[in-house]
Amino acid sequence: MRRLRAVRPVEVDERGLELVSFCGHCGVAPAQDAVQQSRVCGHCGLGLVLQAPADVAPRGDEPFLVIDSTLSVCAVSAQAEELLGVDETEAVNQHVADFLLPADANAPCADNLLVLLVEAASGSGAPRTAIVRPRQEFGVRFRARIGPCGPPHAALLVLTS
Amino acid sequence: MFSMRTLKTSEAAALLNVSPNTLRAWERRFGYPKPQRSAGRHRLYTHGEVAALRDALQQGLSISSAVSRAREALSTDTHTLVGALASFELDRADSAMEAALALRSVERSVEEVLLPSLDELGQRHGIDSAPWAFAARWADSWLRRAQRLAPPPVRPLAILVGDATRNEPDPDALAVRAFELFCGRSGARVMALPVAGVAGLSDVVESLSPDAVVIAGSHVPDDDVALWAYRVRTAAGPLPMALFRRAHHHGAMVRTTGTRVLADTPFGAHRQLLAIVDDRRGDRFGEVAPAVTRVGDVEVREAQA
Repeated sequence: MRRLRAVRPVEVDERGLELVSFCGHCGVAPAQDAVQQSRVCGHCGLGLVLQAPADVAPRGDEPFLVIDSTLSVCAVSAQAEELLGVDETEAVNQHVADFLLPADANAPCADNLLVLLVEAASGSGAPRTAIVRPRQEFGVRFRARIGPCGPPHAALLVLTS
Repeated sequence: MFSMRTLKTSEAAALLNVSPNTLRAWERRFGYPKPQRSAGRHRLYTHGEVAALRDALQQGLSISSAVSRAREALSTDTHTLVGALASFELDRADSAMEAALALRSVERSVEEVLLPSLDELGQRHGIDSAPWAFAARWADSWLRRAQRLAPPPVRPLAILVGDATRNEPDPDALAVRAFELFCGRSGARVMALPVAGVAGLSDVVESLSPDAVVIAGSHVPDDDVALWAYRVRTAAGPLPMALFRRAHHHGAMVRTTGTRVLADTPFGAHRQLLAIVDDRRGDRFGEVAPAVTRVGDVEVREAQA
């Protein structure tokens, strides 16, 4: 019985993709017994627990941002705060383009960063990748993994090296 | 009139389903929810702020965005009051303040809703306009009503306020009324007298025997203020003197006389004045009390040698 209790049911979205829970600030997965109790991360206390498909969710200490369908920044992870030099408290409600821009200006329309973000924020977009750069910085590029997250519906943008 | 439900840290934490430590971490990082302090210096959260945050957290993607939404929900009181005063609806203005008081203390309702609303109307119409005068009269009347409902003085503390504001609507006059209200609510006996009148002043001063004198407002010229202050000093002896909303005086202290310059906000000024009086009572004769200045929401005291 003890072993059975330790088993964690796999959560899936409407398309059958496995969902992973993580804190929107520190990125740490919530403790098993804390999942149902509170949306606030029991590890850092500074983020809300979100869910995303396993192939999009941040791994380890990957920096990430959460963006809503109006392309406003809703959350900035602690690692992304450090990487981009912004405080989440100042970044929230600002347009994502104030912080990140597509690095490849010649990308076809379907791969346009903002289009990908809007699709992901609507919950319908499949996980995609894009190349982005911090605003007003040149010569620095990141690969971004973009996919849906929530609740409520939003886009998750994970920066990878 | 002033019903506001407050929660202890443990109660607020339980309502939000977080630990008290998390709540204090939010206060440091986000400045919200912003507690008041009880007489024993314990945190007291307003139920409205906590409830607004709880609702916002359910729909939020981060604590920051939830705090932003909760703040937005609370700021609707200011919009309502501005709207009511702009359309000359006094009952609706009273209701807006009632709604504000359900979520905040009297002090915060005045500083976060009433005074900002008047500022907004002043910027919109100008302070020499009829709409602003209408709003200012309502605000003055509201503050006086609140003063009448303040608990009777319980502190052995009397404050004499030399009112140097204009008789006509004056933004400083509202701040001075708010300052008197806050001092009264903290248990002090407060008497405001116009600095223009010096006849019979010594009788009033002797009867009140004030512990501190505040010269408030910048309309009356310095010469008249100086005469009034001299008469007060002659009648009551050396007392801590402070300036509130007196133009041309910046910094913590006037060099020549040691007169303290209080913060521009009524709440900050009232806290500083109480600290000055408490320091003076705690000091030995001739010892200089530490100056109290305000940086944002934090009071900073100069270290004593």
